[in-house]
Amino acid sequence: MIELADIDKTYGVGDVTTQVLKGISFCVEKGEYVAIMGASGTGKTTLMNLVGLLDKPTAGQYRLEDNDVVTLDDEALSHLRNRKIGFVFQQFHLLDRANALRNVMLPLIYADRYPEDAEDRAKKALEAVGLADRMHYNPNKLSGGQQQRVAIARALINDPAIILADEPTGNLDSKSGIEILAIFKRLHKQGRIIIVITHDNNVAEHADRIIVLKDGQIAEDKPIMQPRDAETELKELNNKEGQS
Amino acid sequence: MRILRLTQEGIRALLTHKLRAFFMMAGTLIGVAALTAIMTISMGTARKLKQQASKWPHDVIKVNAGGGKGYTMPQEAITTLLPADAEAIQDQIDNLVLVTSVAEKRGLSIKGNSRQTGTNVFSIQPNWHEVMNWYIDQGESVTDEDIATMARVCVLGATIREELFGEQDPIGEMVQIGNVHLRIKGILKPRGVGTSGRASDDRILVPLSTALRRLFNQEHLSYIRMTVRDPDKIEDTGEIRIERTAEEVRQLLHERHHITPPQEDDFSIVHSSIVIKDIRSISKTTTVLLIVLAGLSLIVGGIVLMNIMLVSVNERTKEIGLRRALGATRGDIFIQFLNESLAVTVVGIVIGGILGWIVSILLVKYRYLSIGNSWGLFALIVLFALLIGIFSGVQPARRAAKLQPVETLR
Ligand SMILES: Nc1ncnc2c1ncn2[C@@H]1O[C@H](COP(=O)(O)OP(=O)(O)OP(=O)(O)O)[C@@H](O)[C@H]1O
Ligand SMILES: [Mg+2]
Repeated sequence: MIELADIDKTYGVGDVTTQVLKGISFCVEKGEYVAIMGASGTGKTTLMNLVGLLDKPTAGQYRLEDNDVVTLDDEALSHLRNRKIGFVFQQFHLLDRANALRNVMLPLIYADRYPEDAEDRAKKALEAVGLADRMHYNPNKLSGGQQQRVAIARALINDPAIILADEPTGNLDSKSGIEILAIFKRLHKQGRIIIVITHDNNVAEHADRIIVLKDGQIAEDKPIMQPRDAETELKELNNKEGQS
Repeated sequence: MRILRLTQEGIRALLTHKLRAFFMMAGTLIGVAALTAIMTISMGTARKLKQQASKWPHDVIKVNAGGGKGYTMPQEAITTLLPADAEAIQDQIDNLVLVTSVAEKRGLSIKGNSRQTGTNVFSIQPNWHEVMNWYIDQGESVTDEDIATMARVCVLGATIREELFGEQDPIGEMVQIGNVHLRIKGILKPRGVGTSGRASDDRILVPLSTALRRLFNQEHLSYIRMTVRDPDKIEDTGEIRIERTAEEVRQLLHERHHITPPQEDDFSIVHSSIVIKDIRSISKTTTVLLIVLAGLSLIVGGIVLMNIMLVSVNERTKEIGLRRALGATRGDIFIQFLNESLAVTVVGIVIGGILGWIVSILLVKYRYLSIGNSWGLFALIVLFALLIGIFSGVQPARRAAKLQPVETLR
């Protein structure tokens, strides 16, 4: 599905260059849930931008499904992003002046064919993240957790095969964080690839594989035998709240 | 359809920033409004002047008292144009058919049939009718004898007759101007609105001598009017006859009034080719100036539009990056931002065009102007404004499209 081979990424031109990624190689198969960890500045976001087709590697090979990504032009990459990848950012990146529904519909504008049931699809996506009653709210009237769930609904609207999340819980309290992770768990069960970048072990332990970056290289790439289950944790949390 | 969705996005962005959109629009709006108003008014005025010029008989030369360029009215304060000048013109200038002298006063009070009103008094000679090609309807006109005896008689225009006497027969009745009583000898044929746009039937004709001595108590004339035989004939010198004759009249009057150019004339000469030249110069100088000003406002508006868009692009880098991440191509971003500028321009053109019309209609109401329209010129204005809109929109849109999503999303 995702196949990276000997990826280098160097920022800057001329004398002042920094090589951020050095010979990264890994594959992610359909249905995997991967956490990418590493100290600040080791190149996690850089890697996500490459995987997410927002940037091109300086050297190396990248195959996404049948596409040799390195050879594609801007237009082809944009279409591929639109169809295959759903982004979730730490800062949510919602349009302030548009309500939740319009934010969720945004990727459809750039789809090859605008679906006739666009609004219904957006409503369903919002229902799926538990925001059916907040559809007409603008982001400034939503909590951080709710905003991030709108962003996830937006990422899901084109039914992408891959969800890329960079510190999705970084700006959230632990309860909201668990809610997000529970949604990811469900998306994972639907067969999507989930890639989550995080500093937080409590987040990474929900994945079934952890890749650790260090100084632009893969220091560790290990499976998790017993991943935590956010959905049950959330239920327990809710029960506890109900009791107290 | 994709382009429609992109345009819709652009319009949404404008609607959420209405004040910004207004400032982006202002230059186009004002420029188009000004150009439209100038266009309609100058077209209308030119058309009106042309109509007047075509009414001006092509064999007539008129010498007005008082200087000034071309198509002017006689000036009352000038007392130097005398009946002797008319006689000299008659005696010394060739190719003239008729020469007639007129002294006029406008807005005098007149009494008759125990009613009172205001009218314009024209003091004339018997050949006035022939020169003006305007004759008597009932009764008779001023005769040479009336002139010789300074007879207290007059001829009424249709309007003043109606006002004072209604359906009654006024011939033989008396009217009073100042403290002079005049017997009505005849009625002029109705003529409607004259070349100057004033009602021509609101007038009373009096023998020239009577008017000068008894009514106005003055020596001087308002104007001398003459007709030229074969006015279009080309003379041996290559000049057109009417122009040649006008020049001879000018020289004669220079001599008689002791004027040596560059000293200013105390009279002005009008004939049909001067009237036409005059129209050309009016439409040229004023409209060119106004068009340049309005064009500048469009260009300045374009620069403002471009700068606001550039600021807007800088403010919205995050949004642009996000849209790129969600699948917008460079072209999509370009089109969205260009269409923002275009939408503003188009709305500015529409409102500006309507505003221009309203302004010209209002101006016409309050001033002595007329409106006309040329779709060709209007299309040119629209095209010009659109081009400036596109030109101003392209640069910001290109900058927006060039932004790298990775740079903008941090
Ligand atoms: N556009 C750029 N130009 C130059 N250097 C860059 C650019 N983007 C990132 N870098 C550098 O590359 C390195 C890796 O950055 P990156 O954002 O990928 O780190 P990260 O692992 O995501 O860190 P964090 O955990 O703090 O988010 C950093 O040293 C950063 O300064
Ligand atoms: Mg990062």
